[in-house]
Amino acid sequence: MAYKYYKDNRTYFDALLKAGDGIVVKEEVDWDLEMGAIVRRTCEKKGPAAYFKKIKEYPDFEAIGAPLATYRRLAISFGLPPTTPIPEISAEYLRRTNSKPIKPKIIDKKDAPCKEIVWLGDDANLLNLPAPMVHDGDGGRYICTWHFVVAKDLDTDFVNWGMYRQMLFDEKTMVGPVLAFSDMGKMFYNKYVPKNLPMPFATVINPDPLSAIASSAPSPIAETDFTGQLMGEAVEVVKCETSDLCVPAHAEIIIEGEVIPNVTILEGPFGEYTGYRVTPRDPRAVYRVKAITMRKKAIMGVSNMGIPTDEGQLLRSFSLSLEMERMLRDQGIPVTGVYMLPESTHHLVVVGVKPIYANIATQIGQLVYGSKLGPWFHMVLVVDDKTDIYNKDEIIHALSTKCNPNTGIRIESHAVGSPFYPFASLEDRIYGRVGKVVFDCTFPTDWQTAVIPIKVSFNNVYPRAIQEKVIAKWKQYGFSE
Amino acid sequence: MAEWDTFILNDFKDLIEDEPEVAIIRDLTPGRGKYRSTYARIKVSKDPKKYPETLWVRLGKGQLVETPCSMSILEFVSVIPKGM
Repeated sequence: MAYKYYKDNRTYFDALLKAGDGIVVKEEVDWDLEMGAIVRRTCEKKGPAAYFKKIKEYPDFEAIGAPLATYRRLAISFGLPPTTPIPEISAEYLRRTNSKPIKPKIIDKKDAPCKEIVWLGDDANLLNLPAPMVHDGDGGRYICTWHFVVAKDLDTDFVNWGMYRQMLFDEKTMVGPVLAFSDMGKMFYNKYVPKNLPMPFATVINPDPLSAIASSAPSPIAETDFTGQLMGEAVEVVKCETSDLCVPAHAEIIIEGEVIPNVTILEGPFGEYTGYRVTPRDPRAVYRVKAITMRKKAIMGVSNMGIPTDEGQLLRSFSLSLEMERMLRDQGIPVTGVYMLPESTHHLVVVGVKPIYANIATQIGQLVYGSKLGPWFHMVLVVDDKTDIYNKDEIIHALSTKCNPNTGIRIESHAVGSPFYPFASLEDRIYGRVGKVVFDCTFPTDWQTAVIPIKVSFNNVYPRAIQEKVIAKWKQYGFSE
Repeated sequence: MAEWDTFILNDFKDLIEDEPEVAIIRDLTPGRGKYRSTYARIKVSKDPKKYPETLWVRLGKGQLVETPCSMSILEFVSVIPKGM
């Protein structure tokens, strides 16, 4: 049964407008910094998404900025009320993705909106797309910030959708990091590069929100099928013009081409999800463009990474934590929930657990850092089942009162990490080497009941009858809510 | 004369002057082609009037050096193998 969802960003934006979470910018905006600055400011003010109707020098295009930068918008993308609390959005994600994966449905090109306009050969010119200069000082125009890249394994049918940033270099060339530990990196560097074979790719700009969520989720299930789970029915895809790859039929813009083996071009710097411009100009993967297809009056998607909160932090935190929860439950760990704080730029995750045996926090750290999710974060706080993992006050209280500096902090010095950590040395960034830490914020299991400190809170140190009486008479005492 | 910019990873004081070297330069001409990048063999001087083209320099994290240099473009270079 299909869930309520939006097949494209046009219907999704209508829902945002209706909920008061989007605005239409009728004033002409410049793709050169102005549009990026607007998107950045609305992210920092936790403001609405912006639909830009007029872009300087690109009259045939529009743009949407900050499409999924808040939990309200995330709820709307799932067809839920915008006020849905985070635990309920999480529960909905887990409910949908615990179902059977659903293969995509290939539709005819004539029925696919993303084929309304087709540019081939010399016409496929990247400079004719309204790629924004997102931040002053970036290494180039980041044409792909709200998108995903489709690529297929050389030897199997495995297809990956992943958000890999891409910078416009010239009419036919984009460059961007393809990290060796990523799904696409494993395909490209392990299989195509040793045989000196170009790898076909298709970049999907401004996909529907659920496809975008699937592409940023570190699930072991193929993103095509995962999108089907989120939608409750098959995602409609269409064949590319220049390869046998398929792309979501209702996306706005598709860029097709090949990733060139054994050639690199310097890419960056770029304002990144950590809220800093960290990585220097580095040799990165080279994408050569063969075709561009799009909808009429195509809408560019713009996510502006910087200090929290934007799409990069919110979506990654959301899906990383829930995939972690699923993995820990599969391993039999009695977790009560997992929440990654978007404000931590998906570096800090809080795991709630029933501490039923000693060193369960260490085991949790080993499992999550040892999984494919591990390179993207480096701080795990393990709290007991009495702590509300979504409540920052409670988390800080647990960390500063239950974590013993002598015995509760476990550091792993030699772990795999991303090159984007601001605290890492230049050399460690280049080689993806970081440390990881577990903060055990549970009281030791060998302490006798009489020794364990009692939490002094309204909910914990008053009899139920007193609590109910005080709550019932609260306004009567003279308090407001 | 056209305006360009480039990124350098070392300190500005270590910028190599008057020696041909290959670098990525970006065209700053306003319009759809602004920021188009290209590899080129160039000669650079911190003297803004020595060579015909204006070259703005940015450091590794994108910081703009306030005074421009000048540049002579000797030839454009392609790093992409032919046919790709």
